[in-house]
Amino acid sequence: MAQARNRREFIRDLGIGAAAFPFLLNLPSLGFANQVERKKRLVVLFSPNGIVPSTFWPEEEGSDFALKAILKPLEPFKDKSLILRGVCDKVRGDGDNHMRGMGCLLTGVELYPGNIQGGSDTPAGWASGLSIDQEIKNHLQTQTSTRTRFGSLEFGVMVPDRADTWTRMVYAGPNKPLAPIDDPYQMFGKLYGRMKDQESLKSILDDLQDDLKKVEAKVSVEDRQLLREHETFVREMEQELKDSKNHDLGHAVPELETGVKEDNDNIPKISKMQIDLMVNSFSADFARVATLQFTNSVGGAKMRWLGVDEGHHELSHHPDSDEKSQEKLTKINTWYCEQLAYLAKRLADTPEPGGSGSLLDNTLIVWTNELGKGNSHTLDNIPFVLVGNGLDFKMGRSLKYKRVAHNRLLIALANGMGHHIEKFGNPNYCDGGGLNDLT
Amino acid sequence: MAMGVLSLLLATFQAFADDSDGKQIYANKCAVCHGGSGQGTEDFPRPLEGTRTVAQLAKLIAKTMPEDDPGTCVGPDADKVAAFIHESFYLKKEKPPRIELSRLTVRQYRQSVADLVGSFRPDSESWNVQRGIKGEYFKSRQYRDQGMERVDPELKFDFGVYGPDRDTFQPDLFSIRWQGSVIAPETGEYDFVVHTEHSFRLWINDTKKPLIDALVKSGNDTEYHGSIYLLSGRAYTVKVDFAKAKQGVDDSKKIMGPPQPVKASFSLEWKPPHHALEVIPQRQLIPRSSPEVFAVTTPFPPDDRSVGYERGTSVSKAWEQATTDAAIETTAYIISHLQELAGTRDDSGVLKTFCRKFVERAFRHPLTDEQRKLHVDDQFEQSKTTDLALKRVVLLALKSPWFLYREINPTPDAYDVASRISFSLWDSIPDQTLIKAAESGQLKTPEQVKHHAERMVSDPRSKAKAREFFLHWLKVDQVVDLAKDPTSFPEFDEAIVADLRTSLELFLDATIWGETSDFRSLLISDETMLNGRLAKFYGATLPENAPFSSYKLEPTERAGVLTHPYLMAAFAYTGTSSPIHRGVFLSRSVLGRSLKPPPEAVAPLAPDLHEGLTTRERVTLQTSPPSCMTCHGMINPLGFSLEHFDAVGRFRTAEKGRIIDASGILELRGTETNAYDGARQLAIRLAESDETHQAFVEQLFHNLIQQPVRAFGSDELNTLKKSFIANHFHIRKLMVEIVTRTAFAPHATQP
Repeated sequence: MAQARNRREFIRDLGIGAAAFPFLLNLPSLGFANQVERKKRLVVLFSPNGIVPSTFWPEEEGSDFALKAILKPLEPFKDKSLILRGVCDKVRGDGDNHMRGMGCLLTGVELYPGNIQGGSDTPAGWASGLSIDQEIKNHLQTQTSTRTRFGSLEFGVMVPDRADTWTRMVYAGPNKPLAPIDDPYQMFGKLYGRMKDQESLKSILDDLQDDLKKVEAKVSVEDRQLLREHETFVREMEQELKDSKNHDLGHAVPELETGVKEDNDNIPKISKMQIDLMVNSFSADFARVATLQFTNSVGGAKMRWLGVDEGHHELSHHPDSDEKSQEKLTKINTWYCEQLAYLAKRLADTPEPGGSGSLLDNTLIVWTNELGKGNSHTLDNIPFVLVGNGLDFKMGRSLKYKRVAHNRLLIALANGMGHHIEKFGNPNYCDGGGLNDLT
Repeated sequence: MAMGVLSLLLATFQAFADDSDGKQIYANKCAVCHGGSGQGTEDFPRPLEGTRTVAQLAKLIAKTMPEDDPGTCVGPDADKVAAFIHESFYLKKEKPPRIELSRLTVRQYRQSVADLVGSFRPDSESWNVQRGIKGEYFKSRQYRDQGMERVDPELKFDFGVYGPDRDTFQPDLFSIRWQGSVIAPETGEYDFVVHTEHSFRLWINDTKKPLIDALVKSGNDTEYHGSIYLLSGRAYTVKVDFAKAKQGVDDSKKIMGPPQPVKASFSLEWKPPHHALEVIPQRQLIPRSSPEVFAVTTPFPPDDRSVGYERGTSVSKAWEQATTDAAIETTAYIISHLQELAGTRDDSGVLKTFCRKFVERAFRHPLTDEQRKLHVDDQFEQSKTTDLALKRVVLLALKSPWFLYREINPTPDAYDVASRISFSLWDSIPDQTLIKAAESGQLKTPEQVKHHAERMVSDPRSKAKAREFFLHWLKVDQVVDLAKDPTSFPEFDEAIVADLRTSLELFLDATIWGETSDFRSLLISDETMLNGRLAKFYGATLPENAPFSSYKLEPTERAGVLTHPYLMAAFAYTGTSSPIHRGVFLSRSVLGRSLKPPPEAVAPLAPDLHEGLTTRERVTLQTSPPSCMTCHGMINPLGFSLEHFDAVGRFRTAEKGRIIDASGILELRGTETNAYDGARQLAIRLAESDETHQAFVEQLFHNLIQQPVRAFGSDELNTLKKSFIANHFHIRKLMVEIVTRTAFAPHATQP
């Protein structure tokens, strides 16, 4: 056989104008031209173990502010960024701060009592409510104008293969955590698998027809009828596959690097692959909501490619006085910010299909974390960095709040996405409704 | 199965000349409706064909013909015209039956794909071992530091607050790993349900991905569900990790004072198709793991069953589409399990060998050079990656007629013989032992075939296929609604119905797979399988929790499956028995007689409109017209014999204060007496009757072979019947005999 080439060529060989086109795109989004309302998208990007406040938070408030070390990669998107300081996760109850930080981050509600013991506090189980991304997705999926094939896509990078309170932030409902897909090839299969199958099927049809002819020659005259009937069905299938080829996929299938194994040192590659897949799935309008979860709460990625050999979680416990460690933590967080910037760039470089501007003009990315700071495990000042113009927020600002509950930000995200709610999660933290100074 | 039916619809009787010649009588009295040679007429198009004997025909004519004036063609006249009809055209003349090219039935498709994929895994070990599930009990939360190991009969425990053993285990820190296999009795969707207050994970079949993952115990949930599609006749690994302990960070070294006493219980239930939710019974559990089974879940359109058995002699677009979807499903499974099945993911040389074997096994033949090129080499040649090549090979193999069809070669070669044996007994492809026998020239004689048939007939796959046949024979293979009028039968609930089904299945299994395997026992055994719950309902004395065992309920009245409460309840209305349903079942299944549908749709007479009548009287009244009696003359007396059994199959001596009349008269081929009183007497006659024997042999034959028995020779059925009798009605020996006698038969017609 021809020597196996890389996955990139493999995917290209499958062809882009695929037979499976009608299955790939949900019908409403085929009508790009008739679009009346602009599309709005929300992405939540998660990295763990808190940040380094001194190298993260801008000193200034308002539209005139400087980006510090960690946020430097956002420089090209500064006027499209909104940095929110003083937003606090006030949810208490069972579970240690890593667990609550993760499980309450997007749900805004307590964990159930359970059997998972953290490093301190009482043991806990899953969150007792759904997460805001799923709340918004459910709303979008109820309307034909915003309904998409998947509604939401849950991406991950190196998420450990165990389901517990530290590894899940997305919830479809109380006690219903959703696992992120952290294998890009699996995600590719989810997005484009049927198309690949149809392609393979098409490639064997000639051989199959040969085969039927050969068998036909062997059997008795009476039996031939059955095979002839069978052949007509095969021909019909061939015709149907041909007919569906006339559609254009509308965007290029992403080209993934081949054979990338899931291990720590491949985190940069996997991150890029996942971001590329996400951007492509927005181009194809597979979903309007996405999450991208790097590792997990307490995640111990070893960023050797930055010259950091220690695990992230272990480092995050080191005191403020340990400057070397703080430098390394700054490097780690800067790397995460680079991933955010890469996503923003890819979105900015991709025109909005059937609309005006770029994908970034119609997308809001929220970068967040389960803790404010690693060594104190505080749930105050949870980092929230917003990028993109998808929700009509007034961007290019740095805001400081006085200990406002993060539920109010979650509400504002839903409202910005066109889903009007006044409370989300624990209603005790919803006074005042959605944060009102974002727009 | 008998094909023709005697027309019931007869027309105006015309005066006829006093001519006693059969041909003349026919011309005068019958031809006007039935046509000059029994072909039928415009108003009465049904040809005069059927399976009755001359005597039966004469009797029928005397009683019911001509339709508008029955009783005017009796005695010698009836005999003569019956003889003429019988001799001239009554025995159906159709195209000579032949062995037909057939596609795999749905059952064969699923079983074949499972065995094809399974052939690349280790063989499943014999199940002839102790029943139950292995339990390892640990003194830690992480399945380390074993404190006890044993075989548990079932998974239903209440450990209280102290755990499995107060001396060995801490009350709040122990874990248990149960491992074994569960045997699926039927094909379909199984629901598994776990009840526990604690952390657990349940794996079924796939030992990597849990079916239910409740490692995190959260909130007050104590009930967990998971469902999975399983194929019958196979064992599936079951694994449970259960822990009464906290997970996550280990804080057991911390001193925290005595824990609050918390109870721990665990149960594993399932709901197989046709059954109610129950704790998985011990008889379905074996204490060791099994290789994973791949079950195609793609839905298929049902097979043609119009001739009484499933056969693959027609194709449809829906079927063709299903084979595509199933091929894609299988391909995805193989790709994701490639390392395990082929031993490599990327070594293209090894993968090519794997592909050759795969195609060979799918086709049940060694590949010709041409096939090897088309099906393997070309696919590798034309694909850029091994993944893609593999995909194409598997798709093409599973879409190929060499896989999808049976009986392509007009004269079977040794490999075709191997396939005939395995499809007959298992509905699946030959195992490697059979293929090796074919390869080495060890499948050339009937003795050699018999040797393999005897080896294979006790395999769980044969048992599963046989069970499905017997349930079909008893007409309870489809969804059976046994719901009864709750005011008349308040205790007849879902649990009783499910137990009855189990009781019937256990009785069938015990009879068929027992030493004597005697067909007659199915009809005349005086034993019923009962557990405590059924015993209470049917008035037997067994402890409340008694497991199933053999019991003699009314031994002078019960007759094997014929009076089994499940059948009695199935062939009944919600409040009353239905002699017609019961009679039709006996006529069709047991006697193999063909019946045609009633001339018009008839609603049964409502019992409350005829308060004074017994069921028997009501049915007699409704079916009294001569046009009914042509069939009901046979149906009713058969059904009335079961009148001692009410709508839930309980024995009764009276109905509405009147003594039950279960007597009747029925002529049966090969029995001496015609009169009987009650089910048992009838059952004994049926068990003796040549008609019953022939009907059973014919139906079993068609279920195994899925080709018309006459395609194997006009005397084949008779020969098999004689051997069945000579072997004391041994069912398993009959199965082996059928397989042996058909294995070499060439197709009737050469191309």
